Amino acid sequence: MTIFLRAGGQLRAMLKPDIDHYTRKVEIDGEKTIGEILKDISLDPAYVALIYVDGVMKDLSFRPSDGQTITLQPPVSGG
Amino acid sequence: MANGSTSSRGLAGTTLRIDLTTGEIKRSPTDEKLMREWFGGRGAIAKILYDEVPRDADPLGPENLFIICPGVMSGCFIPAGSKVEFGSVSPLTNGHGDSNMGGHLGPALKFAGYDMVILSGISPRPVYLFIDDDRVELRDASQYWGMGSLECEPVMKQDLGEDFEIATIGPAGENGVRFSCITHDFGRQAGRTGQGAVMGSKKLKAIAIRGSRGIVVHDLEKLTEHVTAIMKRTQTHPNMAPWQKYGTAFFIEWSNTNAVIPTRNFQTTYYENIEGISGEALVEKCLISHKACFGCWMNCGKYTKAVLPGKQTVYLEGPEYETGALCGSNLGMTDINQVAYLNWLMDNAGMDTMSGGGVVAFAMECFQRGLITADDLEGHTLNWGSVEDAEHFIDMVVHRRGTGDYFAGGTKRAAEKIGRGSEKFAMQVKGQEMSGYDGRYAPGMLLSYMTCDIGAHHNRSWTITVDMAEGRDTIEGRAKVVIYLQHIRSLFDIWCICRLFWGELDVEPEEIVEALKYITGWDVDTAEALVTSEKIWNLVRCHYLERNRANGRTFDYPPARSWEEKIPTGPSAGKGLTKDQIEAMLDEYYAGRGWDKNGNPSRAVLHDLNLDFAADNIEKIGLLGKPLSNGIPAVRGERYKPKAF
Repeated sequence: MTIFLRAGGQLRAMLKPDIDHYTRKVEIDGEKTIGEILKDISLDPAYVALIYVDGVMKDLSFRPSDGQTITLQPPVSGG
Repeated sequence: MANGSTSSRGLAGTTLRIDLTTGEIKRSPTDEKLMREWFGGRGAIAKILYDEVPRDADPLGPENLFIICPGVMSGCFIPAGSKVEFGSVSPLTNGHGDSNMGGHLGPALKFAGYDMVILSGISPRPVYLFIDDDRVELRDASQYWGMGSLECEPVMKQDLGEDFEIATIGPAGENGVRFSCITHDFGRQAGRTGQGAVMGSKKLKAIAIRGSRGIVVHDLEKLTEHVTAIMKRTQTHPNMAPWQKYGTAFFIEWSNTNAVIPTRNFQTTYYENIEGISGEALVEKCLISHKACFGCWMNCGKYTKAVLPGKQTVYLEGPEYETGALCGSNLGMTDINQVAYLNWLMDNAGMDTMSGGGVVAFAMECFQRGLITADDLEGHTLNWGSVEDAEHFIDMVVHRRGTGDYFAGGTKRAAEKIGRGSEKFAMQVKGQEMSGYDGRYAPGMLLSYMTCDIGAHHNRSWTITVDMAEGRDTIEGRAKVVIYLQHIRSLFDIWCICRLFWGELDVEPEEIVEALKYITGWDVDTAEALVTSEKIWNLVRCHYLERNRANGRTFDYPPARSWEEKIPTGPSAGKGLTKDQIEAMLDEYYAGRGWDKNGNPSRAVLHDLNLDFAADNIEKIGLLGKPLSNGIPAVRGERYKPKAF
C-alpha cells in the first residue's frame, strides 16, 4: 500500500519529502495507524499538532487507505 | 498602487499630530529619515515615545502619547499587509507598550494619506477621530460612550457608512482597566499592554477612517511578480487548508498532550476536559464562517456564535488559541460555548482576553484558597468552570466595583493589594499576564516571558518545539534562540505585516525584505533588518530602565510558582525548573545580548547600535551596564537549527 505524507513548516525537514517540496511517498506493509507509520519513518509524533485527511481532523490512531494523502501540521509558533 | 518617482515610496506622505486637550490638528510631511532608520510601525513608535514622553509621565495622564502607525508595508501588495501598530507608555507595565491588530484599519489610514497619527493630551469630552481622506476631525462621541466595543462598531458604521473602518474601546477602556484593548472589524484586537486604557484616559472612544487613495511603490512590476509567486506557492502549502478550516484553535489539544496548556491559573499543565474546548469542538459547535484580514488568503479568523442555556446567543470572532487556553482550561471551562461566551463578554467590554483570562484565573485561585470570599464578591462565588461567576466578576472589574478595582490593574497590582502569598501565583512578568503556555517544563518559553520587552508575551518569542528538540530538562543554549526570535519576530510588528506567513507557510524573511525593497526602494537586507530590530529592543529596554529606575534584572523574574512548584499532574508531572536554572538562563541571556549581569545594556553594545544617546541617559541614573570583559558578542542571537530537525 502506498500513502503520501505532506508537511510544511518545521515538520518539512523532519519528513524528508521526496515527491515534491512537501510530499513523501511511503510504502506500507499491511494496515497501520498513522502513529505506527510515523514511528517507522522516525518522525516523532510529538511534533505533529494536527493530522488532516480529506478536509477532516484525524488522530494518530487513524488507518489510511491505499493512495491517500495525509497532511501533517506542526504546532502554531504562538497562537 | 502605482510606480513611484517621488521619495514617498511605500509611504502615504503625511503625519498627523493631534492635541486632544485643545483640539488642534497639525499635518506635517512624514519624517522619511525616521521611517528609514526605524522602519516605521513598532520602531518609529519606540523612538517617538522614547524622545517625547517625560519619564515621570502618568501612562493614563495627558503627557502620554497614543500613536497609531501602520508601517511602510501595510496596505501594499504583500502577504497580509494588514497590520496597524498602536503604541504608548503602558499603564500595565509602566514601560514602552505596543500592540497591533489585523483587519483593515491600517491600510485605510494609509489610503487616506497618513503614515502616523500622534495624539497627546486629554479631550474635555468623549470624542472620536474621524478621518475621511483630507477631512480630519475630532467629533463628539457622547452618543457612543458607554457602549460595548462590538455593539458600537455597527452603530458607527450605520451612522457614517459601511465603508468606514472603525476601531473602538469598550467600557473597560473608558473606566481605566489597565489591560483594556482596542477592537476593530468585529473581533480583531490590539490586546496587549493596555492601549485601550490609554485611549479611554484620553476620552477617545473610537477611530473611524475612510481612505480612497493608493500607495506609490518603487517597482510595481517586480513587486507584483514577486508576491504573485509567493501567493501561488502558499496556496498549495500543506498547512493552508487546515489553517483555513481551524485557525489557531486546532493546537489546543497539542498543547495539552505536550503539557504546556495553562490549567486553573497555571496550577498544572494538563487539562482533563480538553475535548470540550478543542479546535474541533469550535468548528463543530460554533463556526459560522471563515474570515480574513486585508490582503490575506489564509482566512484564519473564525466568525462564530456562542449558545448557552439562559444566555443571549452572541456572535463574535474566535476563540483563537490564546483565548481558548486562557479563558478555557485556565478557567476550568468544559464547553467551547462557555469559552466563546466569555470571549464575547471580554471583547464587548473591551478587555484583552489574554490578560483578562489571566486576571479571572488569578481571582478564581484566590477564591479557591480563601484569599477572597463571597464578601469580596458582592455575595457571589468564583468557582472554576462557572460562567455565571466569571461573568459577574468581569462586570465588577469592568466597572471597578469593590474588589473589582484591585483586579482592574492586572494580577500584579491585585496581588500587591491581596498579599498573603498571592504574588507567588500572579502569573505575570513586568505587570503583564502570561500567554497561553506554561513555561515550567519549557524553559525557553519561560525565558521568553521573562525577557519580553513589553511584559510576558509569546508574540516576540515562542520556543516550545525548540525546548522539545533540545531537551526540556536542559536550559543551555536557549538564550541565543530566544534573542534571535525576539529580533526576527519583532520585525513583523515593525513592518506591520502578519507573522503567520513566515511562521506557518514557509515564506522566508529574505523574501519579505525583497518585497520591502520593491515597495520602498531602500537598499536594505535581512542582516540590517535584524540589527534594526535589535536596536529597537535595546532602546525599549533603556526606556524601561529610565522609567522604573532599578537594575533590569530585578524586573525579569517570573512569579515564584515558576520555580517553587513542580507540575503536579499530567505527562509532565514532577517536572519543573529550579531558581538556579532561572538565574543561569538570565546570565546566559544578558551575556548573549551584551548586557551586564544586572541586565543593563553596556555602552559598547549601545554604541554599536548607534544608541549613544540612550547610553548617556541610563548612565546619568546609574544604570549603564558595566563594561564587558570580553567585549560585546559579534552575533547577538543565532538562527536556530535544532538537532531534531
